[in-house]
Amino acid sequence: MTVEDSSGEVVVRLDGVHKEYGETTALAGVSLEIRAGEAVAVMGPSGCGKSTLLNMIAGLDRPTGGTVVVHGENVGELSEKGLALYRRRRIGMIFQFFNLIDDLSALDNVALAAQLTGTPARQARRRALELFDELGIGHRRNAYPAVLSGGERQRVAVARALMNRPALLLADEPTGALDSRSGEQVMDLLLDLNQIGQTLILVTHDEHLARRCASRLVEFADGRVTGEHTLEPSA
Amino acid sequence: MRGVWRAARAAVRRRRLQTLVIALVTLTSTAATVVALGLLDAASAPFDKAFGRQRGPHVTAVFDPAKVSAPQLARAARQPGVAAAAGPYAQATVELPDGAMNFGLGTQITVVGRAGPDGPVDRLDLWAGRWATRPGEVVLNRQSDWTPDDLGKRLPMSSGGPELTVVGFAFDLSRTADAWVAPRQIDALEPTATQMLFRFPDASSEDRLRAQLGTVTERLPADALTASRTYLTLKHQVSSSARAYTPYLMAFGILGIAVAVLIVANVVSGAVISGFRHIGVLKALGFTPGQVVAVYLTMISVPAVVGCALGTLLGNVLARPFFEFVFMGPDAGVLHDDVSVAAWVNAVTLLGMPAVCVLAALAPALRAHGMSAARAISAGSAPRVGRALGIQRRLAGSRLPRSVSLGMGLPFARPGRSVLTLAAVVLGVTTVTFATGLATTMDRFGNAGRDAYQVTVYASSFRHGKEIEPQHDDRELDTLLRELPGAGEVTARASVDVRLTGSAHQVTLEGRRGDRLRLDGVLTDGRWMRASGEIVAGSAFLRQNGVRVGERVSLEKGGRAERVLVVGEFMESNARVVLSDWPTLTALAPAERPIAYHVALRDGADPAAYARAARAADTGVTPDVRGSNSVTQTIVGSASALTLMLAAVAALGVFNTAVLNTRDRRRDLGMLKSIGMTPRQVTAMTVTSMAVLGALGSLLGIPLGMAGYELVIPRMADAVDITLPPWMTDVWRAPALTGLALTGLLIAVLGAYVPARRAARLTIGEVLRSE
Repeated sequence: MTVEDSSGEVVVRLDGVHKEYGETTALAGVSLEIRAGEAVAVMGPSGCGKSTLLNMIAGLDRPTGGTVVVHGENVGELSEKGLALYRRRRIGMIFQFFNLIDDLSALDNVALAAQLTGTPARQARRRALELFDELGIGHRRNAYPAVLSGGERQRVAVARALMNRPALLLADEPTGALDSRSGEQVMDLLLDLNQIGQTLILVTHDEHLARRCASRLVEFADGRVTGEHTLEPSA
Repeated sequence: MRGVWRAARAAVRRRRLQTLVIALVTLTSTAATVVALGLLDAASAPFDKAFGRQRGPHVTAVFDPAKVSAPQLARAARQPGVAAAAGPYAQATVELPDGAMNFGLGTQITVVGRAGPDGPVDRLDLWAGRWATRPGEVVLNRQSDWTPDDLGKRLPMSSGGPELTVVGFAFDLSRTADAWVAPRQIDALEPTATQMLFRFPDASSEDRLRAQLGTVTERLPADALTASRTYLTLKHQVSSSARAYTPYLMAFGILGIAVAVLIVANVVSGAVISGFRHIGVLKALGFTPGQVVAVYLTMISVPAVVGCALGTLLGNVLARPFFEFVFMGPDAGVLHDDVSVAAWVNAVTLLGMPAVCVLAALAPALRAHGMSAARAISAGSAPRVGRALGIQRRLAGSRLPRSVSLGMGLPFARPGRSVLTLAAVVLGVTTVTFATGLATTMDRFGNAGRDAYQVTVYASSFRHGKEIEPQHDDRELDTLLRELPGAGEVTARASVDVRLTGSAHQVTLEGRRGDRLRLDGVLTDGRWMRASGEIVAGSAFLRQNGVRVGERVSLEKGGRAERVLVVGEFMESNARVVLSDWPTLTALAPAERPIAYHVALRDGADPAAYARAARAADTGVTPDVRGSNSVTQTIVGSASALTLMLAAVAALGVFNTAVLNTRDRRRDLGMLKSIGMTPRQVTAMTVTSMAVLGALGSLLGIPLGMAGYELVIPRMADAVDITLPPWMTDVWRAPALTGLALTGLLIAVLGAYVPARRAARLTIGEVLRSE
């Protein structure tokens, strides 16, 4: 498995980011820097704006104020197409509820990410198979999401996120919908990825997950960063 | 109950787009149904309806006043076997002077003395002016396309009779008279007969009517009844043009209803299915299964009822000019002010369309009724077992762009919804195919021989009600017309009534002389006449007289007879017309002169300028620039309007399916965008998913439309006793079929584009958060 950007340079820079949904303020002037190869956990209570922050970095949503710069690109200034290409090239996203397409096999769900960039089907499936083997779910490649366990589904989702070799891996409550054993497996997987240089930002309620996988903890409340801690690697 | 209403109202408010779609679809579908059912109703028996409304006489009987008195006839009419009777009316036959303005009634007219237009039988449609109540006044029997400007003009009588003033125009479908005067006036016109109008309980056949008339008249003096006519003869004569319209209107009517019902069923059932999650939430809140069903039926019924009510109004508004356009032609058998949607059509659509909506909603709502709350809630979010997996797998491995292959697989994920949408597209394509074939044939029919001449110069004109003769004789006029600027070919035409030997049928022999004997005729068999003694007969003439091309017939006129060879058949619905060259005509009628000259102009010449020049050269002629064919225009225009309407309804069905699909797949769309699917790819995927149905719809709809064409066109031609030549019905050529193949795609793409763009603009963060 290969990843990009392990030089320690700043890859994500948020400067005074605001986000309002109508009269609700989700982010209230967030400033944050994340370096290549870091694993950053964002923690905070429900509704504090963690997922919104992740969406801003992923280019899933646009800030109403401030700037989000990822790899030198001001995400807020990109066109819709530019955002799509940005997500394709730079971002791998893992969701709490996996978001797999029910009508596609596990393999095709993963290959899809590469096929959207124009990669031929055969080549995309070959790359997906490599990932399946590396993530230990090769035997489930032809299964459909409905018959996979929660852990298997999340591994498929991780494989899909890694398909285009993203610079940033973003995970939104990746173990939130899993039982503890599956959750442990996914944690191990994220840890392994970070250890080989994958920059990782994860949003979680789970302090155990944060401490296990992240090197830095960002505390969040009411749309603001309320604290930052460097974490010791867990045993 | 309040909870149900509150939940339904909240659901309507929250689903504004869906509510709007349901209202829009029911509105357009109901409007289409009103027009379609109205067409079916009007086309099914236009004569019978108009005849029934006028309470037309089943038998019009004429008696000799010298043999039977008015009181005797009145007594006879009161017998038990008579359902209703009108009369006795004094009846006179009046000669109008040659050359006088006769209001298109001919030179010999039947005038009846009658006190008013109403009565138990034969209620006249007095559409202009008033009834003749005083001596010196007359009401003429004219259809409402006659100009009311003629009111106040004078109708002169030959043989010294009184000159009458036209005070009204009335239309009598039963043609019991050409004109009516007040009873006090009729004596001055020297009546020679007494008219009685009867309605009988059994009007099913000619024999039954004759038998009932026999019973009524059996106690009257012998030979008192001098003539009688049943309405069945009239019915055949009157309704031929309506009969021509009937098969095509029936086809459109049936297609319209089918499309409308399908779309409504699809939209409504889709709305309920997409609300399963909401149903689960309601159940979890404590709503009983019955209340849940009630919420959903109310939620669907509100926009459906509003749409149906507005659609019925719109249908009536659209139908009126449309029906006037179709049914007000000459001999269509429709009365003035009588072209409207029947009350039962409004009642059926107002009750039927909401019923269709409720039934369509009921099936999925009942499914939800029996579903547990947990299952209903999870229906929207939990992973479901994939569908058509083999197809999805093959598509995923194909060389197509992934957005396209994903789109192609989407219809298989919701097979029920896709089948209903496909059916609507199929019917849309069927309609377009059928209408295209029909319009092509009608266009060829209407334009056949249009280049034969551009101006007809009639050899007479009228001024102040008097006929003016041309200043030039026949040969001079012929030469004059040839020498006018722009003239190309000149063909003279004359008509004479002759008799077919051995037959009671009158025949109109039309003799032609000049450059183009065939004029605008369309040959369907044999050849055109080349020599004297040859005729070309109309299709209807040949059918009704049992004559075939190649046979000889004898024509008589006065003491002269000519044996002629039928060398060809041409397309003509008038069963009396046969064509010959000039010598054949003059052999039977040596003194006959042309009644008109048909002038084909040279390229670039202006027909209006030529007509003005002809009029200036001889004030005794009436030049007439050839206009467009109104029957053809009517059919092509109405078919185009109906086609557009049905295609729009079908596109709305696709629109609804695309809206529902994108709603159902919001989570997938969000995820796809999160992994880098561009807005254009989202649009391509959504449009492709409907384009698949469009392409399939074309494949199925084109043969169905062609079959409809093959079914309807021969019946239309048969109804007016014509044979269409193969080149008019050979309409399915490669370019036309290619165009039609794109129709389904076009309907699908038009319907899917807006929802696709909406899907492309989805905000991913919101979608994935709400999931």
